[in-house]
Amino acid sequence: MIKLEPEILQAVEKPARYTGHELNAVHKDWDEVDCHFALAMADTYEVGMSNLGLKILYEVLNNRQDTACERVYAPWTDMEAIMRDRSIPLFSLESFTEIKNFDFLGFTLQYEMIYSNILNMLDLAGIPIWTKDRNDEDTFIVGGGPTVYNTEPIADFFDFFILGEGEEVISEVAKTFVKWKREGKPGGRKGFLKEVAKLEGIYVPSFYNVKYNEKGYFSSIEPKEPEARDKIYKRVIRDLDSVHFVEKPVMPYIGIVHDRIMLELFRGCTRGCRFCQAGTSYRPIRERSREYLRELARKLVDSSGYNEMSLTSLSSADYSCLGELVDDLFADFEGEKVSFSLPSLRIDSFSIDLAHKMQQVRKSGLTFAPEAGTQRLRDVINKGVTEENLMTAVEAAFKQGWKQVKLYFMMGLPTETDEDIVGIARLAEKVARKYKEVKGKWGVTVTISVSCFVPKPHTPFQWFGQLPKDEFERRQRLLKDSITERAVKFHYHDARVSVLEGAISRGDRRISQVIYQAWKDGAKFDGWTDLFKEDVWHEAFRKCGIDMKEYSERTRDFDEPLPWEHTTPGVSKDFLKREWNKAVAEQLTEDCRRGKCSGCGVCPSLKVDIVDWKRKEGEVKANV
Amino acid sequence: MYKYRAQLTKGDEIRYISHLDYAGVMERAIRRAKLPAAYTEGFNPHLKMSFASPLSLGVTSDAEYMDFELTKPLCQPEIFDKLSAALPPGIRLIKLKPVKEPKPCEGKKHKALMAEVEQGIYEVVAPLIGDWDVAVKAVERYNAASEVNYHRVTPKKTRDIEVKQYMIEPVKIGMSGDWVKLTMNISITQTGSIKPAEILELLYNEYGLPVALGRALINRCKLMGQGKDLIDLV
Repeated sequence: MIKLEPEILQAVEKPARYTGHELNAVHKDWDEVDCHFALAMADTYEVGMSNLGLKILYEVLNNRQDTACERVYAPWTDMEAIMRDRSIPLFSLESFTEIKNFDFLGFTLQYEMIYSNILNMLDLAGIPIWTKDRNDEDTFIVGGGPTVYNTEPIADFFDFFILGEGEEVISEVAKTFVKWKREGKPGGRKGFLKEVAKLEGIYVPSFYNVKYNEKGYFSSIEPKEPEARDKIYKRVIRDLDSVHFVEKPVMPYIGIVHDRIMLELFRGCTRGCRFCQAGTSYRPIRERSREYLRELARKLVDSSGYNEMSLTSLSSADYSCLGELVDDLFADFEGEKVSFSLPSLRIDSFSIDLAHKMQQVRKSGLTFAPEAGTQRLRDVINKGVTEENLMTAVEAAFKQGWKQVKLYFMMGLPTETDEDIVGIARLAEKVARKYKEVKGKWGVTVTISVSCFVPKPHTPFQWFGQLPKDEFERRQRLLKDSITERAVKFHYHDARVSVLEGAISRGDRRISQVIYQAWKDGAKFDGWTDLFKEDVWHEAFRKCGIDMKEYSERTRDFDEPLPWEHTTPGVSKDFLKREWNKAVAEQLTEDCRRGKCSGCGVCPSLKVDIVDWKRKEGEVKANV
Repeated sequence: MYKYRAQLTKGDEIRYISHLDYAGVMERAIRRAKLPAAYTEGFNPHLKMSFASPLSLGVTSDAEYMDFELTKPLCQPEIFDKLSAALPPGIRLIKLKPVKEPKPCEGKKHKALMAEVEQGIYEVVAPLIGDWDVAVKAVERYNAASEVNYHRVTPKKTRDIEVKQYMIEPVKIGMSGDWVKLTMNISITQTGSIKPAEILELLYNEYGLPVALGRALINRCKLMGQGKDLIDLV
């Protein structure tokens, strides 16, 4: 058991990040269970504690009698320095046990820029960083979460990955482990990996051979063990009412990023925005029932004491019974001073009315995501929103009293021209002027936040070459110079980070060496702008003899094998190609939840169907 | 409105959370307890609750005081049991009393909890790393000094504080195993006070108290006004 002296805790920022003992944390007797699972996020306590997936899996695993699940997050740099100085190993927040004593260390893979932190945590834990260096006594390193649809850049650090939704499969993993352990661990480490590889949705990277062609491009990946599948499909929950959701969240003593109840209404979004990886990887739409959500809301308020609840989903306003659910919740919590919020708004007046109703009097600010500055480019990305939609929505918002609007855009999308960039400024200015028109005076703030587009695997833009950093920066300057209205404020993302993310997110297995080198040379917390070390990363690519631009800027050939195709969310390559062609032709694709099936392939290949409580019987789409 | 005063602890488990975080934790506990709590008016309603003297980060306490209001008068045992059951690890409810508001004819209302605080008693323990006699001498010399200055540096300002004006009693020294135990009886005024950690620092730096400073632990044992525990003032 790790005990931190007062002088250590007095010396670090936010010491309660490391002291545990939170309400609803689960403490089990170490010797009473067979499976010890540490769930991790390679980011700070405040970020890790806010992750909904981890909260769910923590309860699912702890609901098993044979398993104890504990938490661990990345120590901040001040604490890390002390831990290294005094040889304090990474420990869990429940029993303060050394992480290397756990059977599993599971990382949630939220974004590419935390990969260096994963290596850092393994090192702090005293676990060999490379899979090949681990022996029978070592912890199994597991990954799951949004970036698993291309795990190749980190494949050499992980024993296995879980693709897709984890509620069912994580329990199967624990069960498989307990059985293997009780049988005397036949076949050792590899023996267990062979067993776990038989489960649907499990990818064991060491069971494959990767080949590259004469140009140095990825050419094939082939199983070398009988248990390894050619293609691994994600796991998907068919009926979200049937699986466990968070009921007793661990309550932090200090403020965290999302310090409120998260009630997940549904999974999936089939609006079909062509840049969006979440849009392809969480298909299809599956809603929880209004009754179940009501029941969960009550349990969560009672067990947490929170007075704020966020109705989360990829596009919460698309929940088919949202109006009714909000009415239910208002009735259920009347007099309890619980406030509700929607994290994502659709650009229409229904959303504005709802937001108005939910916020009652406080008008904090509205956020919309038109994503592109011109109609042409919005059609390219299949963002089914017109300028008129936006103007109607903001007009409604201004009439209701909102004075702050935030607009999200992307820069560097396929086919983008300077006209599209200038279009962002024009659109924001129109919004600002709409306020004057409605209110007869100035006094609005329109903030435009512009990120640099990163093409992602398993999207229609997966082949597209990302813009070079200098070009992103030129377009940022162009946009800045195009804004003439004082009411418009401009924020943009750091292009240096985006191009690195671009290289890693479509990387192959050789990128592992670069990540390792960068970490060795001091890269950590790369997602935190003030800690990002651009030089270290460029130097790491150079040392490894790898051209970063080959990964970020190269436009891939349609027929070229891609290093991520064997780990799939179920969308077919044909669908992605079709969508690319329609993008270039500026043609729209309908949302399949009510409209025509777009033939993405997810429902048939995963044997799952849309769950939409308002979809009428007669409108059931024809399956392709 | 029906006002109550609670005496709570801040245990070892949560010694590193701030005063503000402690208040947030109590607010959620009262909500979990399903007490008919009174809220402030306005767009952003908060529970009507107030605390006595804030505790420094790292200090535990047997004497945290909180006043809060309910919209209905519940009997003391019911509130006590419900609130106790809803508390997180590290906080225990020791005592709970209704605050009797003076009748209008009696004149002024009850003072704010914070304004009632006049005195705090702290226990400081730290491993002895030298002679017991040296430790005793150090404390004796501190107690005998007529004036002691502490140089307080905060991010905002730096100032010198005369410490002895806040000492209600001389610092007492005792032993508990290999640990030195110091008892400090400190005056807390509207215009200022001195923290037990600051006295310990002075004893270590200026008077040569032979202890492992980095392992020292501080506990607030009592918080008083008019010579009584705050819970007995209602």
